[in-house]
Amino acid sequence: MPRENYEKYFKILEISPDASLFEIKHAYLRLKKLYSTESPVIAPIAEEFPKKRRREILKEIEEAYSKIIALLENEQESVYDEEPSVSGEIPEEGKPESLSFSGPVLRQIRERLGIQLHEVALDTKIRVEHLENIENERYETLPPEPYLKGHIKTFASFLLLNPTKVAEDYLKRYREWKEEHSSE
Amino acid sequence: MDSPKKEREGEIWAIGGGKGGTGKTFVTSCMGTYLAQKENRVVLIDVDIGGANLHSFFGINRPGKSLTNFFENGSPLQELTVKTGIDNMQLITGDVDSIASDSIKFSQKLKLFRHIMKLNAQYVLIDLGGGSHNNTLDAFLMADKMIAVLVPEMIAIENMYHFIKNALFRKVRMSLRSYGFREIVEHVWERRKQYGIKNLKELIEWLRRSFSYIGDILDRELADFKIYLILNKVRSPEDIFIGASMKSALLKFLGINIDFVGYIEYDDSVWRSIRNQQPFMLHYSSSRCTEEIEDFTENLVQGREIKLLRA
Repeated sequence: MPRENYEKYFKILEISPDASLFEIKHAYLRLKKLYSTESPVIAPIAEEFPKKRRREILKEIEEAYSKIIALLENEQESVYDEEPSVSGEIPEEGKPESLSFSGPVLRQIRERLGIQLHEVALDTKIRVEHLENIENERYETLPPEPYLKGHIKTFASFLLLNPTKVAEDYLKRYREWKEEHSSE
Repeated sequence: MDSPKKEREGEIWAIGGGKGGTGKTFVTSCMGTYLAQKENRVVLIDVDIGGANLHSFFGINRPGKSLTNFFENGSPLQELTVKTGIDNMQLITGDVDSIASDSIKFSQKLKLFRHIMKLNAQYVLIDLGGGSHNNTLDAFLMADKMIAVLVPEMIAIENMYHFIKNALFRKVRMSLRSYGFREIVEHVWERRKQYGIKNLKELIEWLRRSFSYIGDILDRELADFKIYLILNKVRSPEDIFIGASMKSALLKFLGINIDFVGYIEYDDSVWRSIRNQQPFMLHYSSSRCTEEIEDFTENLVQGREIKLLRA
C-alpha cells in the first residue's frame, strides 16, 4: 500500500509521510514517554487532561507506529525483489530468506530507509567508524567477534531485520575471510 | 475584534508567553536587530507598562517620550519613536508612570491598536509584559504573529498554559461578542458542570455542537489561531524537545496549533551583554546564540518550523 494511505498514522506520530525510520522511531519513543509519564509538559495540565484520554492517545500512538513499521517492512521486501543480487549471490525467487546479509546489503537497506550513519550511531551507541567498516566489510578493522556479533545484531534490529539471521550471514563471510588469512 | 490584517503591508508580531523572566524582551530586541539588519523598517514597542526596559537592551537612556504621551496628550504614535542606535530600527517605550495600566480604557486601547497598524514599518514588534492581564491578551491577539517565549522549566510551562488558555478563551469570547453573542461563553462556562464540560476544548466543542452558526463563526475566527513558540535558556537536547512536546500537548489538550520555530541555548554571553547594556546581536555576532536567533527569526518570516532531526 502506498505511503499516502498512511497519512493519518504519520499525523498521529506528528511527522511527515517522508520521515526516515530514525525520525519515526524517535517520534514514537518521545510521544510514548510524553503521554505515559507525568512529564513537566503534562503535569501542569494533568487534572484537566484525564488519564483516560491520555491512554486513548497512547493506544493511537501504538497503532500508528505498528502500522508504519509494517509498511516499512513491506517496502523492504520490495527492496529484495528489485535487486536480489547485491551480495553477489543469486537468491531463489528473490525471497528475503534466501538473501545473504553482507555489508553492502545492510548499507543498501539503510539507504533505502533514508537513514544516515550518524543517526544509527546516535541510537545504537555504535561508533560511526565501526558501522562504516561493517558496511564496507573492512574485516581487518573490525572488533573481536563477540563484540562484532553484538554490533551486527544491534544494527540489524535498528534496521528492522532479524538480528540472528543477519549476524549468522555476516559472521559466516567474516569467518571465511579469517580462515583464509590465518593460513598465510 | 476586527482584524484588518490583510490590507496592511507590514506585519505585527507580539511577544508574550505568561511568565516574567523568560527572555521576552531579549528575544524582541534580537529579532528586531536581525530584521533591521536585513534592511527592513522595524519599530519596537514596549508595552510592558510599568516595567518597560526594552531601551536598556540597546544601551540607551530612558527616553523622554513614551506611550504616556499617546494616552494623555494624544500625540501621534509615529512622533513617539526614538532611535535605537541600529539602522532601520526605532523604539517606542511604554513607560507609563502616571497611569496604572488598569485605567486605560477599552476605547483607548483600540485606538492604540489602530495606530500601531498604521505605523510606517515592515515589522512592528510588540514586547508584552508577563502575566495574562486582558490588556496583554488583547495586544497579543491583535498581532499577525503571536509569539510565545518559554524556558524549559515546569513553572514557566504552567504559566504558559495559563496564558494560552486565557488567550484562547478571550479570543472565543471576543469573536462571539463581535457577532452579537454577548454573554454566551460566560454563561456556558459558569454552568460547565451541568453541561459536563471539563475544559476549554470541551467548551468550544460544546458551543460548536449546540449552535451550528457559532461553529461557523469559530471556524472562521480560529482558523489562523496559531502560536509560534521559542524556547530560551536551553541546556540539553532533551530541553529542546520540550518545544515539540508542548506542540503535541497543546494540540491534543486544547486543539491549538503551535509552530515550534526555534530555541536559544543557555549562554553566559547573554547575561553579560544585558548587564553591560550592549545590543547582543552586534557584540556577539559570531555566537551560537546569534545564529540560533537568526534561524528562528527567519523561520518566523518564512512561516516554517525548526527541523529537529535532519542535519
